[in-house]
Amino acid sequence: MRERGKNGVLPKVALVGHPNVGKTTLFNRLTGERRKVGNYPGVTVEKVSATVFTPHGKKIELVDLPGCYSLSPNSPDEAVTRDVLLGDHEGESRPELVICVVDAASLERHLYLVMQVVDAGLPVVVALNQADRAEAEGLRINREVLRDLLDVAVIPCQATNGQGLVDLKQTLRFPLPAPVSRQWKGPAAVESAIQKLTRTLAESGVSRPEAHAIHLLADPDYRLNGQARVLRAAQIEARQTAAGLIERDLKPEEVISEARRAAIRGVVRAAVVRRGDEEESRSDRIDRWVLHPLWGWVIFAAAMFGVFWTIFSFASIPMDLIERVVGAAGGAVGSLLPEGDFKDLLVNGVIGGVGSVLVFLPQIVLLFLFIGLLEGSGYMARAAFLMDKVMTRAGLSGRSFLPLLSGYACAIPGVMATRTVSSAKERLLTILILPWMSCTARVPVYLLLVPLLVSGPFAQTLVMFLMYFLGTVTALGAAWVLGKRVGRGAPESHFLMELPPYRLPDAGYVGRQVVDRAMSFLRKAGTIILGLSILLWALQAFPRAPSGEEQDQFSHSLMGRLGHAVEPVVRPLGWDGRLGTAMLSSFAAREVFVSSMAISYAIDADGEEGEEAVRGRVRERIASATGPGGSPLYTPLVVLSLLVFYVYALQCLPTTITVQRETRSWPWALGQLAGMTAFAYLASLMVYQGGKLLGF
Amino acid sequence: MRGAEISGCEGVLSLDRAAAGCDFEVRGLEGPACRQLREIGFCERMRVRKLTDGRNFLCVVCGTRLALSRSLARQVRVEPVV
Repeated sequence: MRERGKNGVLPKVALVGHPNVGKTTLFNRLTGERRKVGNYPGVTVEKVSATVFTPHGKKIELVDLPGCYSLSPNSPDEAVTRDVLLGDHEGESRPELVICVVDAASLERHLYLVMQVVDAGLPVVVALNQADRAEAEGLRINREVLRDLLDVAVIPCQATNGQGLVDLKQTLRFPLPAPVSRQWKGPAAVESAIQKLTRTLAESGVSRPEAHAIHLLADPDYRLNGQARVLRAAQIEARQTAAGLIERDLKPEEVISEARRAAIRGVVRAAVVRRGDEEESRSDRIDRWVLHPLWGWVIFAAAMFGVFWTIFSFASIPMDLIERVVGAAGGAVGSLLPEGDFKDLLVNGVIGGVGSVLVFLPQIVLLFLFIGLLEGSGYMARAAFLMDKVMTRAGLSGRSFLPLLSGYACAIPGVMATRTVSSAKERLLTILILPWMSCTARVPVYLLLVPLLVSGPFAQTLVMFLMYFLGTVTALGAAWVLGKRVGRGAPESHFLMELPPYRLPDAGYVGRQVVDRAMSFLRKAGTIILGLSILLWALQAFPRAPSGEEQDQFSHSLMGRLGHAVEPVVRPLGWDGRLGTAMLSSFAAREVFVSSMAISYAIDADGEEGEEAVRGRVRERIASATGPGGSPLYTPLVVLSLLVFYVYALQCLPTTITVQRETRSWPWALGQLAGMTAFAYLASLMVYQGGKLLGF
Repeated sequence: MRGAEISGCEGVLSLDRAAAGCDFEVRGLEGPACRQLREIGFCERMRVRKLTDGRNFLCVVCGTRLALSRSLARQVRVEPVV
């Protein structure tokens, strides 16, 4: 046994299991971390790790690996798990113990992965999660028999409430258990082929030759795919060995799979007793309505509309409060300081700029609260089931729905979540259209502009809903068009998804998720938006107009000149130079549009008004702004043209970087940025010019 | 419809043609997605309850609710459990 903990490398323990089995919940319980969990498959798409202490105080690294049904991956996230377990992941040492998290109520399905981990030559502990639910469903699992037959420790636990964690931690004590021998035996010809290939691989210098030999024979893709992280020489040897077996009418992958399953059937027969027939569960009864061909859609539409309506109507109380606090802060700071640039910077630049964005915090909190509740309850997977029909028409599948839905919160996790999409073509299409899902950074812009278009919470909710709908429908249309050009000849993909049982969302996790998102929004307001607000203020405050008159200042300032320069480009959209500048500044972060407008219009305001808070004032100023001829500058048509631009424009540098990382292609990432910007401009142009032709 | 249900509960047939509400046993898999289906639970001798019908439908396999498309279900051969 190698000496542990030397050279600063901590002994590693990995958590492995099916998607949505509770690995991340267990990981959070064992480490005290707050990784995202949700009641749907594919929440963890990359490995995450943290250090924990064993019962004897030794430090170890605990790794949460993406969920997979087997070590033969169907998607990029599953390939990470296989490569880490076989020790082929670049820069990543192999775990010294694997905790296989299995669902006690569905043991037979989960033991296949356990068998594969044992075959990889790794020591295993089985965490029998949801043992209580299995008992309630009439399953009695004899843990002693299971332990004896599998020859590994079996620990019943309940990840959600921490039951069994002490016992599980006890298995992490040193010395860690040794690997056990595999539980199945194939026909003599296959066994002899495994032995021969193991010897050949060992002679060729392949590490863990038996684990690689079994996996190369059991997974045709692993031995045929040139991208697999395994020595080419090993693949060539394995192909020859497999060809020899196939000539004898023994497909190694089928023979090995059946041998494993026969062993599992034996284990389950001996260790599991089912009392009575399976009865219709509560989830089945709920699904009868939620997945109904008609009522399912009614419930879906009502849920989505309800979320937006609540955001508009309930958030107004805390928003008014924040407005008053920001206004009072501006007033207090303004009254303490003498007139001058410094006061102007603090009141109009810092407080006015950041305050105009900060006021949207309650709505963002509410949006994430609802997303958390829907995720935690298990409804998200049902929404994917319903949406599959729509997505298929666009050349995607229900699998793409969850990443797209994440895009409503933020495009970056959405793009990363596409790793769960098995078809490469579907994955690329999903990444390309994803930024058209209206993310929360657009929310402040919508909330500023929608009330300029219509009044009353119902009409505003409807317009807001339509903005989301417009982005989504265009995205699906674009997927349909692009699908005909991208990845031609790609194999047909099918919808296959596990629907988790309905659960009461865990208040702690939902709360933490909401707090984390709120903090991230506040951090952004305190860093990027603050910095840009100061910069924007400076651009509008300098150089000073020689006349010293407020009305001359904007046109004399750097921002006024910049606005003048971009005006010919944005004039066909119905915008003036201020809007053009605000649009340009929001390429750094969309929310800056609001602070840019706030700063821009605060300069025209007299001192008292400039100290008042922010959002309503900005909106009032925009609504009352007039052009050179005295006609209103922000007509409903201009506001609509602006809204359409913000629905379609990809104004988020981190998203472009993430797309490049996930597609490994700058042409795709930059093409997406250029394409979406051009589309936004053209759509906005069509709205404004079309509206004018129609006499609006 | 009633007749279709009765015929959907008799003999070896593909899962897409099986009647909703009946219990079946997987007899075999034929098609390009066999491995994926086996991994998620549709393996030989496993018991399946088909819950709904339609373009995509629901099954319960080994206590787990699975949604799958008709094209995938065509690759699963099942026999009613008497």
